[in-house]
Amino acid sequence: MARSNEVNLNECKMVVPLNTWVLISNFKLAYKLLRRPDGTFNRHLAEFLDRKVPANANPVDGVFSFDVLVDRGTSLLCRIYRPATAEEPQPNVAELEKPVTAEVVPVIIFFHGGSFAHSSANSAIYDTLCQRLVGLCKAVVVSVNYRRAPENRYPCAYDDGWTALKWVNSRPWLQSQKDSKVHIYLAGDSSGGNIAHHVALRAIDSGIDVLGNILLNPMFGGQERTESEQRLDGKYFVTLRDRDWYWRAYLPEGEDRDHHACNPFGPNGRSLEGIKFPKSLVVVAGFDLIQDWQLAYVDGLKKAGQEVKLLYMEQATIGFYLLPNNNHFHTVMDEISKFVVSLITVILMLVLFGSLYPFGMWLDQDVFWSAFSCMDSGVIVHEAHVPVRAF
Amino acid sequence: MVLYDDSATLAGSCSGSGSSSSFSSKPPPMQQQQQQDIDDLLAGAGYKVRSSELRKVAHRLERLETAMVNSPADFSQLASDTIHYNPSDLASWVDSLLSEFAEPPTYPSEFIMDPVTNQTVANDVWTTTNPNMPQVHQNISYEQQSLNNQLTVVTAMEEDSGIRLVHMLMTCAECVQRGDFSLATSFLKDMQGLLTRVNTVCGIGKVAGHFIDALSRRIFQGIGGGSINGGSAFENEILYHHFYEACPYLKFAHFTANQAILEAFDGHDCVHVVDFNLMHGLQWPALIQALALRPGGPPLLRLTGIGPPSPDGRDSLREIGLRLAELARSVNVRFAFRGVAASRLEDVKPWMLQVNPKESVAVNSIMQLHRLLGSDSNLNSPIENGS
Repeated sequence: MARSNEVNLNECKMVVPLNTWVLISNFKLAYKLLRRPDGTFNRHLAEFLDRKVPANANPVDGVFSFDVLVDRGTSLLCRIYRPATAEEPQPNVAELEKPVTAEVVPVIIFFHGGSFAHSSANSAIYDTLCQRLVGLCKAVVVSVNYRRAPENRYPCAYDDGWTALKWVNSRPWLQSQKDSKVHIYLAGDSSGGNIAHHVALRAIDSGIDVLGNILLNPMFGGQERTESEQRLDGKYFVTLRDRDWYWRAYLPEGEDRDHHACNPFGPNGRSLEGIKFPKSLVVVAGFDLIQDWQLAYVDGLKKAGQEVKLLYMEQATIGFYLLPNNNHFHTVMDEISKFVVSLITVILMLVLFGSLYPFGMWLDQDVFWSAFSCMDSGVIVHEAHVPVRAF
Repeated sequence: MVLYDDSATLAGSCSGSGSSSSFSSKPPPMQQQQQQDIDDLLAGAGYKVRSSELRKVAHRLERLETAMVNSPADFSQLASDTIHYNPSDLASWVDSLLSEFAEPPTYPSEFIMDPVTNQTVANDVWTTTNPNMPQVHQNISYEQQSLNNQLTVVTAMEEDSGIRLVHMLMTCAECVQRGDFSLATSFLKDMQGLLTRVNTVCGIGKVAGHFIDALSRRIFQGIGGGSINGGSAFENEILYHHFYEACPYLKFAHFTANQAILEAFDGHDCVHVVDFNLMHGLQWPALIQALALRPGGPPLLRLTGIGPPSPDGRDSLREIGLRLAELARSVNVRFAFRGVAASRLEDVKPWMLQVNPKESVAVNSIMQLHRLLGSDSNLNSPIENGS
């Protein structure tokens, strides 16, 4: 276990490009200024330091964006990103909510990261990421500006996510032409990944279909100190102390980290066996100290019979997906675009595989998943459920 | 704590603009070259750092972190009581924090001795595709001072331009009201010039930009006689709803009017509201609901809505009336609606309103009566005519 005051700067320097190191170290130091030892947060300074960008209804690189007030009671804003069509270079205000025209349009509800306390939907890093997702997946992206800790503890972030999900599901202009339904995916990084899981849980008995969950370095934890937490504490930008601070800021007062929000497959979690939970794509960075909890999450989903694909990026640190200057970034973006495929393609694939069923090859769900990804590109990245790799 | 940002800004609502981009005169050649050297990936994240300075900034970040760990007392002071400069200018932000530390801390050296060659080499192990850039040691305090001066100059000019814009907008609006369009047009030109000297992405620059657009539309409509409602009815309805949501002024006017109406109707069972301009009827749902909850039960409510005739054959007055009737039905308020279509308020005569002698009448007029004042000195104003 690293001593809490030990400064280990050399190892993280060796695995990230210089500009990434500058960006993430800057966040690390700035965030340290904001977390007060008594558990309060310097929100005023945080908002000043956060680099934000306005929405832009004029298309830039084929994407335009605008902000909407989704719930007046909680002042919940979302930023909507849409692909620009070639004919109209400048959508006017009546066309912002023009109905989508394609047969199938994925709508990705995105929850930004920041350990429940930092960042906003209009933070520059997340605005950039959401714009990328639009082009990558030919999707509409809805970035949710959920309420943050410590001013708004559990379950505010989940409530806001649920409100946004209901709002998206009820927009006629987001319905795909094929079946007049909204094709919804939930995605998020860090705390956003945690929120995506819990919003998907809430959707289960509601009749709202979530087609898939995309979790990038999702934030999970537990009371126990795992091996990865001890081994990597302080080495790659993140310390256990700051992780603990953020959980204390988000969880209800008096609760420990085995609360189901933090540890969904822990002693207080809900069983997902027999439940219709969306398929998940979970990305874990090899230098993230909470990876044992993330891998346990993947395990928990598999044990409950749920579809999950793990992308374990060995040499990646937190935040690798923020700048497109490394291989992990491109691999993950590729996998995300394949994950968000049109329903038509999935149905075709199922029909195709279904016709081969009599050969008895497709009984094992794990094999089905890997065969699926072989079919479209032949790229398989460290899939945990292929028998060769043991966890 | 003092916060200091070089763009006229609402706190935290927009990214800080780099100091070099706010100059309206041509920047000296050195600055232009420096602008092209900005790391574009960090720029996408909202930070302006020159690629040539990345290594230096990284070293300073390391020193800052070491200092923070070694002197935690100074660090908590840093967190609560320090001047923060433009966070987008990462280099100067880090430097300003470093300068807050009381004693120079021991820090990992930027240069170390290579034991083999006995030469100083850069202490740098970052994975990078670029070959080692030559290190340029600069005196920190000199750099910071010149940056301070730059920031001060920009802010003074921007602030000055902002204030002048506001004054000019008021004066131009007064000219438009008087009908002095030629003077107003010359003000417009001056204001557009001033706009280039302020940040138009946010703050006073953004607001001024919109007002300048609106004034020019008003001016050229006045001269050319074109329609002020350029957009489609549908577009205008959406804009109206956005305006109603975003600004408190209209909502508050409606709220106060409804309050007065409620009090005046207390104890009366047959009430009639005449609305001089129904618009989208956004004032009335709240009144209907308040009447439904009134102790003693709701009265019979009649609403007469006056509005311009719809251009495209739709009867928009009737549609709004139907919606309000549906709402009233859902809260058990007996309700009747009449629409009176008239292109000018002065064309509406009292007999058209069909006021029943036994009912109490409230006349609701939100920002309508000023239009009845004469704008052309040749014609008598409708108010003077006593209609």
